[in-house]
Amino acid sequence: MGNRFQFPDLGVGVGLRTVHFGHILEKWPKVDWFEVISENFMDTEGRPLWVLDRVAERYPVVLHGVSMSIGSTDPLDRAYLKKLKALGKRVRAHWISDHLCWTGVAGRNVHDLLPMPYTEEALRHTAARVRQVSEILERPLVLENPSSYVEFKDSTMTEWDFLTRLAEESDCGLLLDVNNVYVSSFNHSFDPKEYVDGIPADRVVQYHLAGHTNKGTHIVDTHSDHAIQEVWDLYGRSCRRTGNVATLYEWDENIPEFEVMHAEALKAGAFREQAVLAAAR
Amino acid sequence: MKNPAGGVSLPRMQRWMQEVVVHPGDIAEAVASPSARKALGRAAIEDVILPSRTLEPADRVGIYQGMYLMRMEEALESDYPGLKHLLGGHAWSALVRDYVAAHPSVTYTLNRLGDHFSDFVAKWPGAKRPELCHDLARLELAMAEVFDAPQTEPLSDAEIAAVPPESWERARLAPIEAFRLLSFHYPVNAYLQSVRDEDHNHPDLKRKDTYIAIYRRDYSVWRHDLSQAAFDLLTDLVAGKPLGKAVAAALARGGKRAPTTDQLFRWFREWAAGGVFKSVRLR
Repeated sequence: MGNRFQFPDLGVGVGLRTVHFGHILEKWPKVDWFEVISENFMDTEGRPLWVLDRVAERYPVVLHGVSMSIGSTDPLDRAYLKKLKALGKRVRAHWISDHLCWTGVAGRNVHDLLPMPYTEEALRHTAARVRQVSEILERPLVLENPSSYVEFKDSTMTEWDFLTRLAEESDCGLLLDVNNVYVSSFNHSFDPKEYVDGIPADRVVQYHLAGHTNKGTHIVDTHSDHAIQEVWDLYGRSCRRTGNVATLYEWDENIPEFEVMHAEALKAGAFREQAVLAAAR
Repeated sequence: MKNPAGGVSLPRMQRWMQEVVVHPGDIAEAVASPSARKALGRAAIEDVILPSRTLEPADRVGIYQGMYLMRMEEALESDYPGLKHLLGGHAWSALVRDYVAAHPSVTYTLNRLGDHFSDFVAKWPGAKRPELCHDLARLELAMAEVFDAPQTEPLSDAEIAAVPPESWERARLAPIEAFRLLSFHYPVNAYLQSVRDEDHNHPDLKRKDTYIAIYRRDYSVWRHDLSQAAFDLLTDLVAGKPLGKAVAAALARGGKRAPTTDQLFRWFREWAAGGVFKSVRLR
């Protein structure tokens, strides 16, 4: 089963992080693909961009942003989108993703993935902007479900219903972060299985996996550790619905040696194969 | 302003949440601040945010508020590790808190967050040695700028060799984009190096004029200490003065600042080998 956008299953990838530049350039490790944080490469002509160009010559690359602020009530930043489009072209990005969130209003940027209320108003507003962005980028935008720490009293639908309707009304792809599903399910007391079962499978073009930090009263999405078993199980469950979909392991805090991070990512290969086999039986 | 379903509208909710998140006080102060209250109108936080099974609405928003300053500190620390070391963790946190309140990020990139940092610290009341902090912050800002600057190819050996010897006198040299020339009142480059080397025997930070060229070569940032004579000459060259006139000015300065012919040749070799110049113009 493929996704409706015909985006390829790139296999199991890892994030391109500065601390691993030396290792990658020296070893050219056997990695299926790399995901890069778009903003880290948009405003530099120094070493990061030089490394990215070398990586893009040898590996498939996907751009993943944190600053599009698709849900903000500020106007879209067209200068940002122009640079993003140019970077995507430069590295022949297979797709461009960002988060269902907002990062600031009134001209400010707080550089956080702030949550949306799941209302009809927010849905109409965000869907219109997704369509605009897809037109500007000349490709379907892919949006990731964020982890969140608050729930809005005004919300009239679940996050997965909001995402489903948003994807259908704006014709965007989905990057399903199963760790974020787990984090938010703990913080907001919902069933994460219901979430992954409710997402339109043919719109999922990528998965994210990561570790988190459990503070007792809540979980913070820190990308600082190995993924817990519940997250792997959730991933396997979702793969049974979507089939094999490009999967990426994120590690952004206390980043270990490249091989450690890559080994964690490779676990996904076994999970997804098992899941797809189970679904075929 | 309400949303069509009767709750708080999306613009107002976002304005309110941002006011709370960026407030420098604790979460209770943030929620009670005039700017947050103004954004929310007559509504209370309980009208916007639901409690969880373990946290009250304010605690939940407080998670974002606590992470905001941490993120700003991390972003600035990556460009200003020397200044953080000089100030110490407590003063550093206070500086970042005051700085982002005065100069919040207004772009999608954190690369521009520190654009006003050196000028800000020079006037910041918490800095015990503001002039020293200013020097160190200027050095670290210049390094960050050089790291990301546009890539321009330096003059090649062949291009240099193609200049007829008799033409060098009227040659005007232009530096690459990834080049900065700075003078300081303190030995901040030596101090920064000791911090980067994790050498706790930091150099004496007594007042002393120092000079430095910062440039990028093969995608690495290099810092080159200069004598005042070399700094003055390089300043004239990057300002576009013809080489003959710049050299004459250097020789005319006299005293300790006048370079010898040997020094002049050595400097040019070093600068050319370092890839400091991108072009030579003979008219």
